[in-house]
Amino acid sequence: MNQIFEVLGFLLIVFTLLMQWEIHVQRIIILFAASSFIIALFLVLLGLNRPHEENMLFVLAGLTIVVRGITIPVVMNKALHRLYKKPWRVREDKPMMGVGGSILLSLVLITIGYFIYQNSLYSVLKVRSGSVPFALFLQASLLIISHKHAYIQMIGFLVMENAVVMLSGWVFGGLPFIVEAGVILDLLGLVVVSSLIIRVRESSILREGDTYESELRG
Amino acid sequence: MSQHIIYILPIFFSFIGAVVCILPVRFVDRTMSVTASALSLASAVYLLFQPDYIEGYLYIDGLSKLLILTIALVYMSTVLYSLSYLKHIENLLFQHRLYYILLNIFVATMFFSVSVDNLGLIWVGVEATTVSSALLIATENNQVTVESAWRYVIIVSTGLVISLIAITFIYGSAGTLSLHELLLHHPDNRVFLIGILLGIVGFGTKAGIFPMHTWLPDVHGKAPAPVSAIFSAVLLPVALYAIARLIQIFPAHTIKLFALVLGVLTVAVAALMMTVQSNYKRMFAYSSMENMGMILIGFSLGGYGLLGAVVIIISHGLAKSSVFFLTGDVLSISHTTDMQKVNGLIQRLPRAASTLFVAAMAVTGAPPFAIFVGELFIFSALIAQYGWLLALVVILFLAIAFIAVNFKTGKMIFTGKENIKREHSRTETWVAIVNLVLSFLAVLFIPYFETLLKNLL
Repeated sequence: MNQIFEVLGFLLIVFTLLMQWEIHVQRIIILFAASSFIIALFLVLLGLNRPHEENMLFVLAGLTIVVRGITIPVVMNKALHRLYKKPWRVREDKPMMGVGGSILLSLVLITIGYFIYQNSLYSVLKVRSGSVPFALFLQASLLIISHKHAYIQMIGFLVMENAVVMLSGWVFGGLPFIVEAGVILDLLGLVVVSSLIIRVRESSILREGDTYESELRG
Repeated sequence: MSQHIIYILPIFFSFIGAVVCILPVRFVDRTMSVTASALSLASAVYLLFQPDYIEGYLYIDGLSKLLILTIALVYMSTVLYSLSYLKHIENLLFQHRLYYILLNIFVATMFFSVSVDNLGLIWVGVEATTVSSALLIATENNQVTVESAWRYVIIVSTGLVISLIAITFIYGSAGTLSLHELLLHHPDNRVFLIGILLGIVGFGTKAGIFPMHTWLPDVHGKAPAPVSAIFSAVLLPVALYAIARLIQIFPAHTIKLFALVLGVLTVAVAALMMTVQSNYKRMFAYSSMENMGMILIGFSLGGYGLLGAVVIIISHGLAKSSVFFLTGDVLSISHTTDMQKVNGLIQRLPRAASTLFVAAMAVTGAPPFAIFVGELFIFSALIAQYGWLLALVVILFLAIAFIAVNFKTGKMIFTGKENIKREHSRTETWVAIVNLVLSFLAVLFIPYFETLLKNLL
C-alpha cells in the first residue's frame, strides 16, 4: 500500500509542477480539480487500509470530491465567466519565472522538503517518503509567490490545504472527523468570499489599472 | 444541560443576530445588531460570576471569560459606532444589512474560538474569522481596500495553513486535540515540540506577530474605522489566545524562549516602523502590533507576565477601539489619512481631538492606564527570569513607540493656524469616550482578573 501512496504523492507533485508551468487560469483550475480527486482516492485507499477507523475516511473522501473536486472548481469557473467574456483565454500575463527557472526551483524545493523531513522527523515518524507532503507544501508556496493572478494564488493556497490533508492522512493517520469537516467548510466559505473579492478586484483593475502599489507597502 | 447553554449564550446571541439581519425589514439589521450585542454583553458579564466549565466541546476558564467579556464590550461599541459611521461611507460595496450580518457572524466566530476545548476547532474558528471578516475590510469599495482585503485573505490563510500543519503534528503525536486532555498529559517528543512551535508561527500570522505581520498595517490602514477597531481590539488577541493555550499545554523552555524572541522582535519592528509612518491609521496599526508583541512576551513568561498580558488585552481592546473610532471622526472631516495634511484638530473637533490625545497616551502605556500596569507586571517577570538587560532593550523600544505615536498625534491635534472654524463631528464620538473611560477603569479590576486567572498563574 505504501508504494501506491508514493505513486499518488508523486502524481500530486507532477500536477503541481504542471500548474506552475501552465499560464491559462482555467486549465490550472482543472488541474486542481484533478489533484483533489487524487486526494479523494488516497483517502479511500487509506480507509481500506485502516478498517478500524469505521467509515469516516470514506465520508471524508466523499466530502473531498464534492467540495474540493467539484464545488470549488465550479465556483471559481463561474466567477471567471462572470468577469471575462472569454474565460478560457484568461492567463497570467507576467509570469515572474520562466519554465526553466521554475523547473530548477521546483527541484530545489523538493530536495529541501526531503532534507527537512529526513533530518528532523524521519527518525521519529519512520514513514518512508513522508517528505512528499512537505515538498507539495513548498511547491504550493512557490505557486503563490511566483504568480500575480489572484485565482492562481488562491489555487496555490488550496494545494497547500491538499498537502496538509495528505500529511495528516499518510503520516499521522488523519485528524478527527469534526475538525476535518470544519476545515472543509472553512475552505468552501473562503473560496466563495475570495471569489467575490477577486471579482471586484479584477474588475476594478480592468477599469482603472493598478493604482494601489504605493499605498499598500506591507 | 441548562448550564451548558449559559456558556454558549454569547455565541448564540451574535449568531441569531446575524440570522435575523437577513430579514428584508427596514432597520431590522441595526436594531437586531444592537440587541444581539447588548445581550451578548449581558451574558458575558453573567459568565464572569459562573464557575469554570470544562465539558464536552467547551473549555471556559478565567482566560476565556475575560476574552469573551472584551469581545462583547468591543462588539457593542462597534455596532453603536457603525450606526452613524456607515452613513458617511460613499460607494459601499454592499448593503448595510450585509455589513451587519458579516459583523455578527465575525463576532460569533471569535466567541466560538475562545470557548472550545479542541485545538482543531480553535483553528476552524480562527479561520472562520478570516472568512467572515474579509469582506468587511472592503466595505468602502475602491481598488485599494479590495486589494488589502485580498492580501489579508491570502497571507493570513497561508499562515493559518502552517498552524493546521501544527495541529496535525500535535494530534499525530498526542492522539488528541482536547485542551483539557493535553493539559493533563502530553508527549515530550520532537514531533510535539515542532507542532507547538509551528502553531505559534501560524497563529502569530493572524495576531500580527513578526515576521508574518505584513497584512496588518495594510488592512488597518484601509478598512473603515469600526472594522479597524474590532480587528485591532479583539481579532488579534483571539489569535494570541490560541498561542497562550499552546504555551500552557507545553511550557517547555524552548517554546517559551521562542515566543519571547518573537515577542521582542515584534515590539522592536513595530516601534521602528511607527517612527516612519505618515498615515495615522497605519501608525496606530503598528501600535497594535507593538501591544501584541508585549502580550506574547507576557504569555511566554507566565505567572505575573501572563496576568500583565491579560490586563493589556482588556485595556488595549477598549483604548485601541476608541483610537480607531476617533480616526473615523478625523477622516470624516479631513478626508485624508496623511498626517501632514491634518492639523488644528483641537480647534476643529475639540471633543474628539482631546479624547484622541488621551487615548493615544493610553495605548502607548502612559500611567495611570491599565496598559501601563500590565507592562509593569510583564517587566517584573522579565527581569526576574532574564535580567535587566533584555528588559532595558524592550523598554527602549517602548519609549521609541511612545514618543513616535504621541509626538505625531500631538502634532495633528495642536499645530495649525489659529481661528480654524469648529466643525461638528459626524460620528458618535461618545462611544470612543466611553471605551476610553472603561479602559481607565480596568485598572481597578486587576485584583479580580487575578482571581479569575488563579489556575493559570
